[in-house]
Amino acid sequence: MTGTALLFLVLGLGLVAWIVGRARAATFVRAAKGGPRGQVNSLPSYHGWFVAVCAVVPAVLFMFIWQSISPALVTNMVLSAPAASDLPQDGFSRAAILSEARAIAQGLQTTAFQAQSEKLAPLYKDALSYYSWIGMAGTLVLLFAGGAFAFTRLKPDFRARNKVERLVMVGLLFASLIAIITTLGIFASLIFESYQFFSMVSPFEFLFGTDWNPKSVVTAGADNGYGAIPLFWGTIFIGAIIAMLVAIPLGLMSAIFLTQYASSNVRKWMKPILEILAGVPTVVYGYFAALTVAPTVRDFAVMLGVSNAASDNALAAGIVMGVMIIPLVSSMSDDSIAAVPNAMRDGSLAMGATKSETIKQVLLPAALPGVVGGVLLAVSRAIGETMIVVMAAGYTANLTANPFDTITTVTVQIVALLTGDQDFGSPHTLAAFALGLALFVTTFFLNYVALRVVKRYREAYE
Amino acid sequence: MAETTANPKISTRNVNVYYGEKKAIDNVSIDVDMDNVTAFIGPSGCGKSTFLRSLNRMNDTIVGARVEGNILLDGQDIYASSMDVVQLRARVGMVFQKPNPFPKSIYDNVAYGPRIHGLAAGKAELDQIVESALTRAGLWGEVKDRLGDSGTALSGGQQQRLCIARAIAVDPEVILMDEPCSALDPIATARIEELIHDLRGKYAIIIVTHNMQQAARVSQRTAFFHLGNLIEFGETSEIFTNPREDRTKDYITGRYG
Repeated sequence: MTGTALLFLVLGLGLVAWIVGRARAATFVRAAKGGPRGQVNSLPSYHGWFVAVCAVVPAVLFMFIWQSISPALVTNMVLSAPAASDLPQDGFSRAAILSEARAIAQGLQTTAFQAQSEKLAPLYKDALSYYSWIGMAGTLVLLFAGGAFAFTRLKPDFRARNKVERLVMVGLLFASLIAIITTLGIFASLIFESYQFFSMVSPFEFLFGTDWNPKSVVTAGADNGYGAIPLFWGTIFIGAIIAMLVAIPLGLMSAIFLTQYASSNVRKWMKPILEILAGVPTVVYGYFAALTVAPTVRDFAVMLGVSNAASDNALAAGIVMGVMIIPLVSSMSDDSIAAVPNAMRDGSLAMGATKSETIKQVLLPAALPGVVGGVLLAVSRAIGETMIVVMAAGYTANLTANPFDTITTVTVQIVALLTGDQDFGSPHTLAAFALGLALFVTTFFLNYVALRVVKRYREAYE
Repeated sequence: MAETTANPKISTRNVNVYYGEKKAIDNVSIDVDMDNVTAFIGPSGCGKSTFLRSLNRMNDTIVGARVEGNILLDGQDIYASSMDVVQLRARVGMVFQKPNPFPKSIYDNVAYGPRIHGLAAGKAELDQIVESALTRAGLWGEVKDRLGDSGTALSGGQQQRLCIARAIAVDPEVILMDEPCSALDPIATARIEELIHDLRGKYAIIIVTHNMQQAARVSQRTAFFHLGNLIEFGETSEIFTNPREDRTKDYITGRYG
């Protein structure tokens, strides 16, 4: 029996358990009919759910655990057989033989390329079926034990409703932990791989070196071309400088227009449109940047007399990224301007200030922390943005402040390092993890500060 | 039934105020002069605040609000197209129900108006305006050593006096107060009332309140509003001791409101 079939069997038996539990509780209800109220604590379906969950959950958990440990048990069993004693000691060919034998035993492969694996295949077959029977038996035993245990607890005054409530809580908790655990796992793997990278290339070179030209074979103590400063600079130049020069004024001004000048009708259709813009896939912005904006910017640069303007220039990527960020900056600023009490605005108007004086002198200063928070979130979004820069910015690491020059960013280099045939342990691949870690730490820090700023500000007015 | 005064600062004739289709003020004519504090009283929703806000055109900020009739400030129609709203509001200052100091320093709060209207030639003159406004608002002694602190860090009563100082600093002719003490405790309220006494005669003061004792304490003339109508307007002492209208009497004796 395959794992899938077993899973369906378990679920089917779970359904049976539900029906049985429910039917049992229904007899309590019938018996209590006409008696005082509240003799049966819970509705029959709660009893059913209680029995079904007690039966299925332990069985399924056991199935998954067994899935992950049984291959090792199978291999151990094969290796302990006398026929396996003449396997080569060399780890690589040994593993090749074992995996071939396993493939034959599972019917994925028909002919053996190595004589020894043909000999081991029947052994594998036996071991596989042996452990799969154990697993199946264990699953079913747990299922029946759990179901029986739950069934014996059913009584008219059993609080199945409260138990199910707890189970619901546990389920919800589990769902919310998954995202957190995944993030922690990603962070741990970043740290682990980065540690491996830094045991090959010195952190000093990585963090302070200005030469990015990564070699696939590294020598300790020499310059290996892993100086990431040009990448950090490119990321900041495009994401935090050019993009913000576009996004902050435009986003802020659109927020001011929407909150202070637009009539409620205009606001009603303009705000959703701006928010929809935030959902445009970045790859669409990407080819817009590469095909339309970049050539225009280059022509403009040539007109200005910049002879070395590149077609994949930093300015084009930065401008389009800024446009992408406008809705984010605008909606955060909109929220924080709208949160400034109207009394403040009226106070200023009643002093004889004009609308724009009021905005400049009173509303914006009061909304500033929220706006700053929004801008920090926008920066964090911009520096982690990949698609636009992959398509519109270049691949050449360039430490320059010339916006018409080609420039590269951390995200572009991560993509470049991970595409193509690369051994997982090579410094190229590991460098991508180190860059990822740097990016992660930066955006994490920015988000943290931004949320703190926004939160403190909210408290001030509520 | 307009009670006329020899030399009115503000005089309104047949004023109607609408919010969209709804008529909030119906045919109100009143004169306000420099020498007396005028109180507007009446139950909630009677239109007294609406009427007050039409005297410095703060209703302009409300979508759908519309004013008919004449409101004259020194004989000039404030709703005429030649009237500059910004200048009008500098001449007719306002204090709100809830203290609303700007999130700036105490000094900058008071200096706000003089700065935007260009009233001070230099730092020294501005300092002097700030000091005199705070002094007249009875706050100078409490804040003179911490003018750099945020205005929002003061207590509620101090904040309201700061708002009065802020209004005084642009040297207005009229001060409108929209329930200035409703968010304050009795001690802070007493201080504001004292302050209104001190300011009387220097500015034409109109105070909206639904605390009748307060109207009796601080005003010389009282207007009673009910459902958008001006029911009775006259000497405060008359209104409270010998009202002409039954509705006024019922309200003052606590029959409704």
